[in-house]
Amino acid sequence: MNKLLQFRRLRMVMAEELRLLAADRSFWVVSLIFLLLIAYALSNGLHQATLRAGAQSAIVHDDAQRRAGQLDKLQRIMAGKEVPGPFDNPADPTHMGGGYGAHHAILPPAPLAAVALGQDDLFPSQYKVTYESRISFIGNNDIENPWNLLSGHFDLSFVLVYLLPFLIFALGYNLLSAERESGTLRLLMSQPLALWTLLLGKIATRAAVLLSLAVLVPVATLMLARPAALSGGGTLVYWAATVAVYALFWFALVLAVNACGKSSATNAMVLIIAWVTLVLVLPSLLNLAVGAAVPSPSRAELATRTRVLTAEAMARNNKLLSTDYAHVGKPGVLVPKDGSIQMAGRLRGMFLIEREIDQKIAPELARFDLQQERRQALVARYSFLSPAAVAAEAMSALAGTGQRRHAWFMRQVGDYHAAWKQFFFSRIDAGRAVTVADFSRIPQFDWQEEEGSTVGRDATWALVQLFAPCLLLLGFALWRLRRYRVV
Amino acid sequence: MILLIARRDLLERWRDGRLLWAGGMILVLLLTALAIGYEHRQQARAEQRAAQSADYADWLKQGRRHPHDAAHQGMHAFKPEAALALIDPGINPYIGSTVWLQAHRQSEVMFRPAQDATSLQRFGELSAGWILQVLGPLLVIVLGFNAFAGEREQGILRQAVSLGIPTRAMLWGKAIALGTSLLALLAPAALLACAATVLAADAGTRLDTLLRFGLLALGYALYLGIFVFLTLGVSAAASTSRVAITVLLALWIGNAVIAPRVMAELARRTYPTPTRLAFNHALDADLKATSDRLWMANFGTTERWGRDVPLDKWGKALQLDDHASYKVFDRHFGGLWDTWERQQALQEWSGVLLPMLAVRALSMDAAGTDFGHHRNFTDAAERHRRLIQDIVSEDLVKHADPLGGQHFAYQSGPELWKRIPAFNYHPPAAAWALQRSWRSLLALCAALGVAFAFAWRAASRQRAY
Amino acid sequence: MLEAIGLTKRYGANTALDQLDLRIEPGDIYCLLGANGAGKTTTINLFLNFIDPSEGRALINGMDVTRSPLRTKQEVAYIPEQVNLYPTLSGLENLRYFSALALGRELPRDRLLGLMEEVGLDPAVADRRVGGYSKGMRQKVWIAVALAKQARALLLDEPTSGLDPHAANEFSNLLTRASANGVAILTTTHDLFHARHTGTRIGIMKQGKLVENLESQAISDLELQTMYLRHMGGAA
Repeated sequence: MNKLLQFRRLRMVMAEELRLLAADRSFWVVSLIFLLLIAYALSNGLHQATLRAGAQSAIVHDDAQRRAGQLDKLQRIMAGKEVPGPFDNPADPTHMGGGYGAHHAILPPAPLAAVALGQDDLFPSQYKVTYESRISFIGNNDIENPWNLLSGHFDLSFVLVYLLPFLIFALGYNLLSAERESGTLRLLMSQPLALWTLLLGKIATRAAVLLSLAVLVPVATLMLARPAALSGGGTLVYWAATVAVYALFWFALVLAVNACGKSSATNAMVLIIAWVTLVLVLPSLLNLAVGAAVPSPSRAELATRTRVLTAEAMARNNKLLSTDYAHVGKPGVLVPKDGSIQMAGRLRGMFLIEREIDQKIAPELARFDLQQERRQALVARYSFLSPAAVAAEAMSALAGTGQRRHAWFMRQVGDYHAAWKQFFFSRIDAGRAVTVADFSRIPQFDWQEEEGSTVGRDATWALVQLFAPCLLLLGFALWRLRRYRVV
Repeated sequence: MILLIARRDLLERWRDGRLLWAGGMILVLLLTALAIGYEHRQQARAEQRAAQSADYADWLKQGRRHPHDAAHQGMHAFKPEAALALIDPGINPYIGSTVWLQAHRQSEVMFRPAQDATSLQRFGELSAGWILQVLGPLLVIVLGFNAFAGEREQGILRQAVSLGIPTRAMLWGKAIALGTSLLALLAPAALLACAATVLAADAGTRLDTLLRFGLLALGYALYLGIFVFLTLGVSAAASTSRVAITVLLALWIGNAVIAPRVMAELARRTYPTPTRLAFNHALDADLKATSDRLWMANFGTTERWGRDVPLDKWGKALQLDDHASYKVFDRHFGGLWDTWERQQALQEWSGVLLPMLAVRALSMDAAGTDFGHHRNFTDAAERHRRLIQDIVSEDLVKHADPLGGQHFAYQSGPELWKRIPAFNYHPPAAAWALQRSWRSLLALCAALGVAFAFAWRAASRQRAY
Repeated sequence: MLEAIGLTKRYGANTALDQLDLRIEPGDIYCLLGANGAGKTTTINLFLNFIDPSEGRALINGMDVTRSPLRTKQEVAYIPEQVNLYPTLSGLENLRYFSALALGRELPRDRLLGLMEEVGLDPAVADRRVGGYSKGMRQKVWIAVALAKQARALLLDEPTSGLDPHAANEFSNLLTRASANGVAILTTTHDLFHARHTGTRIGIMKQGKLVENLESQAISDLELQTMYLRHMGGAA
């Protein structure tokens, strides 16, 4: 009998809470503000995502055009209709393999990219891959004002991770304390109504309202503005679940704080401090700690080492570097004959230097990569301390702008780099010219999207990391509610 | 009377524990951030010094080679980490501090520290500056939100007013109390920070560092002062403490959390920057046009380094080419960087209503870690690069060209390398920083004026009960 | 029926209620007198399971309130000294909500209006927001809730404090009617007059102990007053 009656009473409480909320002006203000923030964040996200997609397609188009132009030029050279220049000869593998012929390896945006814009400086999405060492092309990223990088983006992920908790606080900080302070709690508790039922009803109503704003509005907007987002399949569902569980964490915190039975003012203060700690302070402290525990090797040292290697390599190839260009006065030298091409001594020398540097610096770069991996692993292990960090990374991962997808991209870039080098080194070493037929065999960067199961697995793990503290807080709340002083 | 009010207010804040707890937490965070910042900065500076001297030593030690190749290997310029970076690292984590001075290319920074960062980087760095900018106002709000509203609720305000105490005295008294609490909390940390930065500063720049520290302190004092009066004003205008703290928290979130991002997006839209592709295209097109004109005029052909330019003219050709490109680079890169500075200026002006943006700009400027200082460094690096190039080109014209068809067989040695001075960069003086900070200082003062006027009006017109 | 057996409540070293033994039969109106802090409100809070006893038991209709909190609350109606309702809802809406929670089902509108009438509230007022009600009007709404509950026991905490003599009289009549219907009533009060004339039995509490327990008919007004003041004389 009790269970059934409580369920009916639960419905009553929920219905009444909805009515009470609707009559409360501050509730409408809070909801409106939230809606505006979500709307702006989404529109900004869509705008930026469109810009980025546009910039990427411009790059792809540009690469294709250049390649077509180079093919054209080569055909004319082979037909004798044009004389190649000394530094832009499509038949010369040292040119085609370098900056002249290089294409970009591109990380295309994921369907949900508008939701979490990520940071392009942390995880750039295009690299111009040449046969030179990785150092030369890794640093050269898109142009952005460092002040803006410092500020961050105003996207949906920001609103949900940073601002949603505040709205939850605004609606819930005085859940029980207000009733107690105004005297209505003892009126309620003198009825056959369990305290737990009352609390659950109040939370459920507020959660329903906020979650429908936080989840349904973006999903509906995305469906209309970016139908491709639905093709992501499970990712949208995972995203909705992440937002829901993250919100649930903050509701659980509100519940736990209310259950302690302090005044409304104290509750508010405790919640604010919790937010500052979990969202602002802990993640940056964690950042510092990880940086201190696994420091990055010195970049200045890397620069020095690169220079030293360059100097040594140059000294070793001095003779080649001293050879003068033969094409001046003899342009025919630059045209391939019987599939072979005479590469200028200097260019050959510079190519050999580059290759030597690339090989010798590789272990240093590997050291950087290893440290970076270890750092990221530490972050993954300890970010459970801050649900905000977990939620932010999870949303980035689902939007395709997270660390894991980028690491996968870097691996593919490495493979592409190796294939590129292999293609051109074999020709340079043999003195073979690039032929028209070769053009179709030049390695292309073919992006392989991540496995759905990987995405799903990480998303599920994030959900677990968010849900566990929820359960702890709920348990704590239940325990404290037993001792709750109604008067 | 004002001091009486101030003293009692201070005592109450101490007794109810707020000063101890809230202030204590902030102090702990500040000291942690300072300690870590100091360590980082010392390490970075030592690294830079070693790298810079090793760089020049290696340059001098070069064996005999063609000067053009020496210029190709180039030198590196390492940006000295400002002493005050331990308080406010500014944009340093987002921009590199190593520039490769290489022939034929405008020098750009090499590595961005963000490359080595983890995904937590998006949450920012915990620095003393960040704590003061973001958590400082929150501290002020927590200490002062119920200054008027609480007394009104308890009926005390009514009694005080009935004694004939003027509201102006109450406002000043409470402002002094709030200011003194902040001073009591922050002064020890400030003294420590001052000592740390002066110790960390390079010899000969100690006075300069002290002056910059003074500018920094002024900026933060203005910033927190704005929030002191804002808090008192809202407390006076609000009917209950609950309303007061809700409004103040909303204002704080707007200022500290939302505004930087929204204003960055707004600035981006107002002064857009090109994509790298677009920028490169424009730069290349301009370079080509310039080069074509030049080569046509001097060698009668637009084909660069082709058959019509004999090897004994390559030195001259290189010299011409470089000189022409300087203007082009300045135009394009200068334009890009000017756009960035305009973006920042817009946000500084918004500081009148959103003081965090103004104080952030001022703080970075005073610390020497803003884009203006970085640009000063890269400009100096670029000037040095051009110096290297000019000396090398001159040498080539004098010695390589006369060799006829053996341009690259010419090799030079230490006698040439010595003629190129070491890269000796000194960051600009405090006066320069002060001059550049006029916008943010003005905005902060204006904001302080607005906040004070608001508090004055609210306190005079408030209900006693 | 309300029963307290050795009911005790301690807060650290302070004993708020000391071994209370009480038995209130159906139809009884028991008036508990005593100074502020004597233990009257504590007694009521114990019966409502708002606090847990340190020793002893409180029983409502034979059920222990700590063992069956929800079941016992179905049997009892509570009227506090200060009735605060939801200010953004009307009197009728407050009545509907609380009575629904009390009974587990919603009452129809005409029944609610009938209840309002029964307690003497003008139907025109029923739809107005409670924020504008007087103390007496709010109390009437709550009495309507209590009536809707049709509980067998009533707990009242200083119900006539702050009511004008007419309203206080109305209230006493209500109590008498209820007791005639066999409801067991426990009320705390400072009002000696009403205690003697409305109540069937009187108890005087001093520093947590029940020092007097007698029939109201067995004593005169003057004797009651003298007795009361004598006990209060030594009060801290």
